[in-house]
Formats: sequence, structure tokens, C-alpha cells
Amino acid sequence: MLRAEDNIQPGLSPAGLLTGESWTEWFDRHSRTFFIAPAVILILIFAIFPTFYSIVFALSRVKFSPTGLRFRFVWFQNFVAQFTGNEQAHFLGRLESMSILGWFVTLAVVAASLLWLHRSFRAGATWIGIIGRIISAALAIFMIWILSGTLLSGNPWGTLLTTLFYVVVGCSLQFVIGTALAFLCSQPIAGKNFFRVLFFIPLMITPLGVGYAFKMVLDITKGPFQPFWEFIGLRDWAWSTDAWAARWFIVLGDSWQWIPFIFICMLAALENVPRDHVEAAQVDGASNVQIFREIIWPQIVPVAATVILIRMIEAFKIVDLPNIMTSGGPGIATESMTLHSYFLWRANDMGSSAAVAYLLLILTVVVCSSFFNLVVRRQLGKAV
Amino acid sequence: MTSVNRKVPVRFDKVRKYFGSVRVLEEFTLNIAPGEFLVLLGASGSGKTTALRILSGLETATGGRVLIGDRDVTNILPKYRDISMVFQSYALYPHKTVAQNIGFPLKVRKINQAEMDAAIRDAAAQVQLDHLLERYPRELSGGQRQRVALARAIIRRPSVFLMDEPLSNLDAKLRGHMRAELKHMQQTLGITTMYVTHDQIEAMTLAHRVAILETGVLQQLATPAEIYNNPANLFVAQFIGSPPMNVVHGSLEGRRFQANGTSVETPVAGQIGKAILGVRPEDCTVVAPTKGVLKGTIYTTELIGDHTLVTVETGQDKLTVKAPKDFNGKHGDAIEVALATGRLFIFDAATGQRVR
Amino acid sequence: MSWHSFKFEKADRSLLERLFEPPAIGRMSPAATLLAYGLLIFWSAFVIFPIYWVVITAFKDAAAVNQGPYFIPFVDFQPNLDAWRVHLSADPYCDWYAIGRQFVLLVHNSLAFLLSPFVRIAPMEPQICKLYLAFTNSLVISIVSTALCISVGSMAAYALARVQYKPKFGNIIVFVILTLIVIVTTSYVGLPWYVTSAIALALFFFLARALGKRFTTSLGNNDILFWMISQRVLPPIVVMIPVYMMFQAVGLLDTHLALIIIYAVTNLPIVVWLMHDFFANLPMELEESAQLDGATRFGIFWEIVLPLTRPGLAATTLLTLILNWNEYLFAVFLSTAKAQTMPIMVAAKNAGEKGILWWEMCAIIVVMIIPVILMAILLTRFIARGVLLGAVKG
Repeated sequence: MLRAEDNIQPGLSPAGLLTGESWTEWFDRHSRTFFIAPAVILILIFAIFPTFYSIVFALSRVKFSPTGLRFRFVWFQNFVAQFTGNEQAHFLGRLESMSILGWFVTLAVVAASLLWLHRSFRAGATWIGIIGRIISAALAIFMIWILSGTLLSGNPWGTLLTTLFYVVVGCSLQFVIGTALAFLCSQPIAGKNFFRVLFFIPLMITPLGVGYAFKMVLDITKGPFQPFWEFIGLRDWAWSTDAWAARWFIVLGDSWQWIPFIFICMLAALENVPRDHVEAAQVDGASNVQIFREIIWPQIVPVAATVILIRMIEAFKIVDLPNIMTSGGPGIATESMTLHSYFLWRANDMGSSAAVAYLLLILTVVVCSSFFNLVVRRQLGKAV
Repeated sequence: MTSVNRKVPVRFDKVRKYFGSVRVLEEFTLNIAPGEFLVLLGASGSGKTTALRILSGLETATGGRVLIGDRDVTNILPKYRDISMVFQSYALYPHKTVAQNIGFPLKVRKINQAEMDAAIRDAAAQVQLDHLLERYPRELSGGQRQRVALARAIIRRPSVFLMDEPLSNLDAKLRGHMRAELKHMQQTLGITTMYVTHDQIEAMTLAHRVAILETGVLQQLATPAEIYNNPANLFVAQFIGSPPMNVVHGSLEGRRFQANGTSVETPVAGQIGKAILGVRPEDCTVVAPTKGVLKGTIYTTELIGDHTLVTVETGQDKLTVKAPKDFNGKHGDAIEVALATGRLFIFDAATGQRVR
Repeated sequence: MSWHSFKFEKADRSLLERLFEPPAIGRMSPAATLLAYGLLIFWSAFVIFPIYWVVITAFKDAAAVNQGPYFIPFVDFQPNLDAWRVHLSADPYCDWYAIGRQFVLLVHNSLAFLLSPFVRIAPMEPQICKLYLAFTNSLVISIVSTALCISVGSMAAYALARVQYKPKFGNIIVFVILTLIVIVTTSYVGLPWYVTSAIALALFFFLARALGKRFTTSLGNNDILFWMISQRVLPPIVVMIPVYMMFQAVGLLDTHLALIIIYAVTNLPIVVWLMHDFFANLPMELEESAQLDGATRFGIFWEIVLPLTRPGLAATTLLTLILNWNEYLFAVFLSTAKAQTMPIMVAAKNAGEKGILWWEMCAIIVVMIIPVILMAILLTRFIARGVLLGAVKG
């Protein structure tokens, strides 16, 4: 192993050059630094620094002036504006009146979360694990409160729930179909490689192209299915007139693009299950269903969990499809958080734009790290 | 558990298996007696594993028939054949405990839990695994994993056991131990067993009868002693025995074998221009010059422990001779080799067949 | 016992079992075959149809698009090249020298940028038709950015797989505090960013030297790796506004360089993640023997390690290339005219007052997806060999 002589990182002074050390030797002696420095510097400047800088935007009212930007510190006003819910700041949706069902569901989730926290506390989790679980539980309660206040009480959604809709519904749908397709392609069928390539292609097509292609294909008046729409009496209808239709419209496009990702990963996982294991089960008399349930599925679950995590991370960033297919409409029904932030930026409200982006960051981090710690890590631990 | 004695014969009837243009098995006919322990021995690529997999149903024969008992199973799924198999890799399910692994064949048949538990404990006891039932395969040693695989095979009391090089992943010491265990188990259960290996010691020690396979063709089917003492052809003669049988190239004229200017009296007579004389190392002795039949020089000597292996260079051939452990010849010494006349084999160099 | 009686009782199968049970291992039952091919054909149609529709629309004219759906070229509509004429021959700058001119422009403008602190050279205006411009921009940006990302990322991944790093936790805290100070002073106090950053950088090195030895807690390679990979979780919109401001401050808005850098950073986590897995799985002996032979560490990396991971490297490169080629959000923010990429050009067709000019847009999309489909076919080759699975397994 190329191990450093000691644990102290050598300084970067070319002092050795004075004592007759050649440039290549000097370079080689410090190679450990040169290997990693470019990546670290790039990430620090273009990811970490902007992330911090974003806080300033989120906490300020920003104005353009001839000398550049002028910042006025306003504490959490931008965030508060998002949470108080009106038509301009539509992060949460409108929480006007809670229905009985909403109350019931909220209380049930609160009780379940507390019970879960209590149990993991008694099971002796580490303090960092407890804090993480409290954050996860708090977010879950918050989400269900929002969900009960809007969806279950008949009030309009905000961009928060819309984003989660894309993530949860999109990911589950894509995972089920993608895995089913992968299973199909792992069977002894002719032309396996052809289908593998064909089913993979949509993932590689620009999201922009996918958006326009679906907008065109599903167009009610000029699209290829126009006779069908006319037949079922949808002549003057449009996808962007109905909130639910518009959301499913976008999930359809998103699924067309992303099912291939699940498909290709799960196919690789399926083909990686040792042939011996399947054969042993066949000799032992297991039926195909039993073999899948008892032998194959448990061995691909760790991969499945990781694949879902990756898909979720990317799903939170969804912006191209709603922007193109419905422009966020009708109203704000299909607006994702990234799109929300983008619209605010176009309206020159940089403070609110940064605030929404930051909320998205917090949401993504909490959901993904909860999923990672509570699901993925457990599954990986079970794997050999 | 009361052993239900259902000894079943197995029959391969002119089985052929081609993978595209590659001929893996050619007119393979083999009868396994009820309750017999048959070892299929061959080098890698000889078609032995394919033969086993055809019997298991994991491969389908291109032609011919396979019978278990009086049933033609050629086109029947593995699960209807009432067989169980031990894989070279053991194929233990990593996400199941030892107990769940052993009980899997019963679980898929929806046997009730109590009966299954009893059967698992019984099978585990038979391979001394009772104390490890709750472990996962990754927590076991190689030998323990091997025994889990065995227990999973015996729990169902199948008509036929199939074993695909089950001992090849174990170290030498454990292999010897497991060999004895296996033999004992097969004898107590009395289940017809087909065992595939490339290791001649396993074949010789375990088998009632050994079938030697080379390039998809059955070379000889006989008891271990018969195979050693009476090989059917040059391939079998050289494949069995360690160190392998010595060969001397020459010609057969009447009752005499001519090579390197010397001639040896042979047990068989014939006229073959290119013949091969075979003799096992233990049937040769190193003697002083003029006292033996084959002249040569010492190429190298290796002390094994209870004996010394002396390699002698004679003409174009090298002979290995088993000498006493105090043999003290040196590299380059001119010596002669004496042969036990009654234990010589003559083969036709062109066909490899034994001249009888 | 009951299972002992389990013999060949199922050997004579009923018709139903024949339908639903495979005839042999490695084959499918008739029912399953029917179902499988039915589903496969259905899904193939679902995958192909949108692409097919885009391709045929690129060869329609306004009438063929607007007067109801026409499906099959030459049968129910006459394909024509209207859309392509708009993009190619109707543009005054469209000729075969366009690529050459674009290359000259690239060199000229790069020089102008590099020399800008010393002499003022007016950047060249593109004399090229829009499609060529967008295509070459996309090509240059994705290729250069991929090269940058792969080289930087694989070096870091290799180092993390082989060398022990122990960054001091205290130094990181110092760095974060200094960064926050820089941000606050530049935005609220209004000091120039280069002054504050230079002071902070100097201060950091001083403090790291002075205090570094006092800090005892240090992080390990896994922490660094996790930190790098987790950058992928960061939604691009979070860094968008600051990145825009940063590029504005150094005058890099609407240049190739801005997009090249930002794409490289966006994809760095993927490259580090995948490449680290390949490097960690390489046998150490080869590198050790090369080290004994006196090779430098970079020499080992270049001559031994990289060739050994060639399939992984190729797959990662393809993936990065495709992601760069398709990127839209950063391009919208950071490029307006000169560095416009293909996706921007597609989206621009949405803004016409006559509604969307579908046929013109589809022509651009076709140009965009042809190279991608070729790359995707190549990429599936690697994935089929299990090249990218290792990383997914965690």
C-alpha cells in the first residue's frame, strides 16, 4: 500500500529544490496532495462555497444596483413568507381548514412516530442515531400534517407536496415496472440483448426532448391519439387544465425516462445472483415463484435499496419536465420546488428563490439520509 | 428416523449432448446399480459434470434416454425427479440460516413446521451440525458449509444423490476426513449416489465402481481395484496411480518388447511396430548396471518419507521408480532398472488400447 | 412421513400443467412465453413510439403537423425537408467552412480571455449558423468537461482508495468559519471578493500551521469519500444563484469555460463513486511491484492502474458525456448567446408567437439524440458485463 511515511501531511514548500532535489522527485513526494487537491478545490469553490453563499441570499432582500448586488439582512423573512402560504408564496399550499380525516391521519402518524422513537430509544441507539431519528420523525409528522391539511381536506397543494408526489409516486411506479421488466429480460428469451439496449435508451435522451416528445405525442388535438381522444369525447380538453391529469402526465414522462435506470440496474443485479443458487433450488423442488421469493429477491434487495436511493436523489431535482410539459400549471399544481425556485429567480426575487432552494436541500438531505440509514444500510448489513 | 429403503437403479442410455458443434457427451451408456456409490472420474472438460447435470435435469440431453428406476426422466423437470444435489460451491443461500438452508427442500413442499423442525434436527445431527443451526453460512468454516450442503441433500431422503466435486474446495486434511464421513453416510443411507470428481484418490477410496470419462467417451467402468490392476487402455492406466504409470516407447515382436537396444519379455504376444510398455513405479527396482533390463542414468531423486522416488532417464523416456527411503544414488549415476515381469502392460501406441 | 411418498406422481402432466410449466430448465412454458413476448413487444412500442414520432415530425411541414395526426411517411404524408432548410440552408452562415470558423473563434476567444488582464482583445462574434453553433458548443463543452471531470475525479478516487488521508476536524471548522466571514464581508460590508478571499486563504494556511497540531480529532478516507459523493444530493438550484454571481464577477458568463467547470463539478461525485470502486478492487501487488521498480506514484497511476480499469473508465466516461450533453438547467442560467448549447436551442423553439414550431424543434432533437443513442448502445455493452454493478452494491 502506498502509505505515507507518517501521519503528518508533508508541507507543500519546495524547500527540497534548494538541496538539489529534482522537480519530478519533489512532485512525487507530494503526489498524495496533488492527486486529491484538484477535486477538493473544485468542490469547495463550486459546491460548498455557493451552498454557504446561498444562505446569505436566503436571509437577505437582494436588490440590483449599478455597483452590483445590494444585500439587506432580513432574518428568516423569506422562509416565513414561504410558510405562510398565499398564491405567490405557494410552498405549503393553502392550509385553511382541516378535515376530520386529516386530523385522524395526523394523530395516527404522530402516535406511530412517537412509538417508533420510544422503541429505538429503548433498543439503545447511539445519541447521533436518536437525533437523526427525531429529525426523521419530525419531518414525517410535518409532511403528514401538510398532506392532511391539503389533500385530505380538499385544499390546494404547494410545491413541497408536488415534489414529494413526483418522488414517492414516481419512484415506486418506476421501481415496480423497472424490476418487472428486468425480471422479464432475465428469463430465457430470444433477442435479450436487443431488448436490453432498446429499453435502456430513454434514460439517455435529454429530459428536455422527453418533455417535448410527450407533450407532442399526448397532444389532444394534433397528437397521434387524436382520434382516440375525440372518440372518448375529450375534444377541447388539455392536460394542463386538470391538476391530477397534469401531475400524472408528468409522472408518465418521468417514468418513460427513468424506468430504464431501474431496469438496467436490477437486470445486472438479477444476473449477478449465482446460478448455483437457482439451480440448487430447482433441484430441491422449488417452483419459479418460490425461487423468486425465497432465493432471488432476498439477494437483490440490497441493490434495490441503493438503486431506489439514487433514483430518489435525482427525483428531488425534477425541473425540466414540469417546466416544459405544463409550465407548472394549472396554477401551481405541477410545480416542483426547483421550478418554484427558478420562477422566483426569473421574477428577480433572489432571496425567496434561494430560500426555496434551501428548503429543497433540507428536504432532500433529511429524506435521503433517513432512507439511507433506516433502509439501505440495514439491507447492506444483511448482505454477505 | 426410520430409513425407508428405496434403492433405485439409474440408467444412461446412449445419451448424447452437443453444445452447438461441441460434442460434450458421445453415446454415453452407464448403468448404476441400486444403492451403488458410483464415481464419475475425469479431467476438466471430459463431460463428467455434464453427465451429472443431465441426470439432475439442469441440462437436457440432445439424444438418448435417462432412467431413474423404471421411469424415463429425460424430459422431466428436476423437481419431479426425486433427486438431491450437492454443488461444488455448496450453493448455500447466504440470507438463510443453517436451519433454513437445510429445511428449504421441505419448505417448498409446504411440510408443516413441527415435522420440518424434527427433520432439520435429524439431518443436522447426522452431519454433526446441531449446535450451529442459527448461524448464517458466512459465519461457518469451509467444512461446516460443506456439511450444511450435505444435510440439505439428505433431509429429503431422495432416490438418488448427485454430488458435483463436493470436496474440491476443502483443504487436504479436511478432505480426507469428509471423505470418510461421506462414505459412511452413503453406506448407512444406502441411497444410489453419483459422484463427480477429478481427484483419483477420492474416486478410489469412495466408489463401489469408477467410471472414467475422457472427451465425452466412457473409457472404463469397473471397481477401483480392477481399474488399477487391469486398466482398459493407456489413458486409464496413466490417469490412475500416483505417481502415474511409467511408459516406454518401443515395439512388440512376438513375446518380446524391444526398446533402446534392450528387450523385455512380455505377458502377451503380438506384432506391433509402435507399442508402449507400461509399468507402475512400485513394480520397478533400481539395480546396479548389468543386473536389470533398462539402462539409464539417474535424473533426480526425491525423498517422500517412507520411500524415495527415483527418476531414471532411459532413451527418450523417463521412468519413475519407487525405491527404499535409504536409497543413495546420485544425479548422473549410471544404473539399470529391473521390472516385475508379471505386472507389465502393453498398449498399442496408435490406438492406446491395451494388448491382451 | 408424507414427503417420502413424493415420487414421480407429477410426471404425467395435465394439459393445464403443460401450459404453465416449462418443458425443461432454461426454457419457458407456453403461457409464460406468450405473456413475456406480449409484454416485451408492448414495452418496446411504448419506448419506440415517442422517438419515432419525434423523428417523423422532423420531416413534416406545418400542414402535416397541424391538420391531424399522420403516422407513416410516404403513405399518409409526404416527408419534406422544410425544418432542415430552416436550420441549415436558410441561414446565411451555413457552409462547410462553418466548423473551421467556429474553431478559429474558439481559439481567439480563449486567448482573449486568458490575456484579458493585460490587453483588451475584442471577442469574435460567431459567424456561424445557429445549429452549428449550438452543436459545436455542446460538443466542445461536453467533451472538455468530461475529460476534466474524469481526470480530476479518477485521480481523487485513486488516491482515496490507496493513500491514507487524515484531515484535521479543527482545520475544517476553521475553513468553514473563514468562508462564512468572506461571504458576510463581501455581501454586507461590500469589500471586493478578491481581497477578502486572499486574506482568508492566507489566514487559513497560517491558522492551519499554527493551530493544526493542537487538533486531535481527524477524519478518514471514508469521510472524504462520503463527502465527495454526497455532493450529488445537492440540488443544482441551490448553488445556481451564487454560481451565477461568481461567474459574473470574473466575467465568465456565457462562455464555454463556465459550463465546462460547472458540469465537471456536478458529475464529479458520480465519477469518484464509480472509479473508487474500480480502484479499490484492483489487486495491490501490481502497484507494489511497480513501486519497487522505482516508478513514481503518478507513473503507476498512468501506466498501470488506468489501463487496468479501462472498461470502467470507458463506461464512466460515456455516462458523464451523456449527462453533460443533455444538461439543461445550468445552461439556461449560464449561457445566453455565444455558449448556447443544444438543449437551449430546443427550448428556444417554444417561444415563437405562432405557437411551437414542432417540426423545427424535432429536427434539433433528432440531431441531439442520434449521438446519444449510439453512446447508449456502447454503454449497455459495459453494463451488460457488470462493469457498473459493483458500485451499486455499496
